[in-house]
Amino acid sequence: MLTVSVISPEAVLFEGTADSVVAPAFDGQVGILTGHAPMMTLLGKGELRVGAGKDAQRFTVEGGFLQVVENRVRVVTERAGRA
Amino acid sequence: MAKGRELKGRIKSVENTRKITKTLEMVATSKMKRAQDRVHAARPYARALAEVLADLYSPDLAGRFALLRQPAHVKRAAVLLVTSNRGLAGAFNSNLIKEARALVGRLEGEGATVDLHVVGRKGVGYFKYVGRAIASSRTDIGDKPTTTNAAELVDGLRAEFGDGRLDAVYVVYTKFNSVLSTPAVSEQVLPVAPPARGKAQLDYLLFPSADEILDQLLPAYVRNAVYRALVESEAAFQSAQRTAMKNATDNASDMINILRRTYNRARQAQITQEIAEIVGGAAALQG
Repeated sequence: MLTVSVISPEAVLFEGTADSVVAPAFDGQVGILTGHAPMMTLLGKGELRVGAGKDAQRFTVEGGFLQVVENRVRVVTERAGRA
Repeated sequence: MAKGRELKGRIKSVENTRKITKTLEMVATSKMKRAQDRVHAARPYARALAEVLADLYSPDLAGRFALLRQPAHVKRAAVLLVTSNRGLAGAFNSNLIKEARALVGRLEGEGATVDLHVVGRKGVGYFKYVGRAIASSRTDIGDKPTTTNAAELVDGLRAEFGDGRLDAVYVVYTKFNSVLSTPAVSEQVLPVAPPARGKAQLDYLLFPSADEILDQLLPAYVRNAVYRALVESEAAFQSAQRTAMKNATDNASDMINILRRTYNRARQAQITQEIAEIVGGAAALQG
């Protein structure tokens, strides 16, 4: 399980657990599953998906970065909204 | 009973004032709650940025990034002062102006030219009054400051700092520690002082590269420092207004009590006098 938080300057949009995260990185989509190596990547503009299937939480993000450390995923973005 | 009527009029007038201050107090209380929520909501982002910056930062980067440049001598500095648009908040704005003047004085004492950028009608009014030129002013930021406001305020300064035209940028604002503690503070936002690293550096996979991530991260960090200043100032302003209006309401209540007492005493004195006159008159008739 991944612990995921989606943070914008104004608020924490999401905090919880999920099996997977698909994020719009600066150069295309990036998928993260449990056990991912520590990573930091810049984000582009697009849809962020936390979880899969019909329980998936969707957000729109623009800019910022994504950080993965020990199954904790942190999406820190300058502009975010729920899609 | 001429004095009595006069006192009645004054009691009525103070009661009306108290109604107004009481209402303003309640409005400020509810606005403060909302502003306080925004301060709390802004904290995780600031913390996340600081942690990541601390993770990526190493001293040898300082030379490569314009925003980390530490000028040996400050020739030109910018001070961004965040005041409020409205008054009725006690010493809120005068504390800020005092802090700003102290900072400007110190910088000028060190031989720097200081550009003053002012947010809020109260600060603009003050510097117009004392006749000090201000580089820019904003009075259209409402009680819900946005990240866009912050970007508009600081992006120009950041560019100037990047070009080397500015050597330091400070923000003077009111920090919202709690409802009871809202000191006016000056904070240096440029050059960026990297936060202290808590734990050992992790071996990250970095995409595209540490340099490019920092290129995005440093401006975001600066913008967020200004956003936080705006949000905290707003919360502090509402809290200062609430306190000021509470004091005004309490003072009005005290004054009403005193006026009532004076009125009652005058009324009683008059009754006593009337009785004395009647008794005196009756005694005169009997005699």
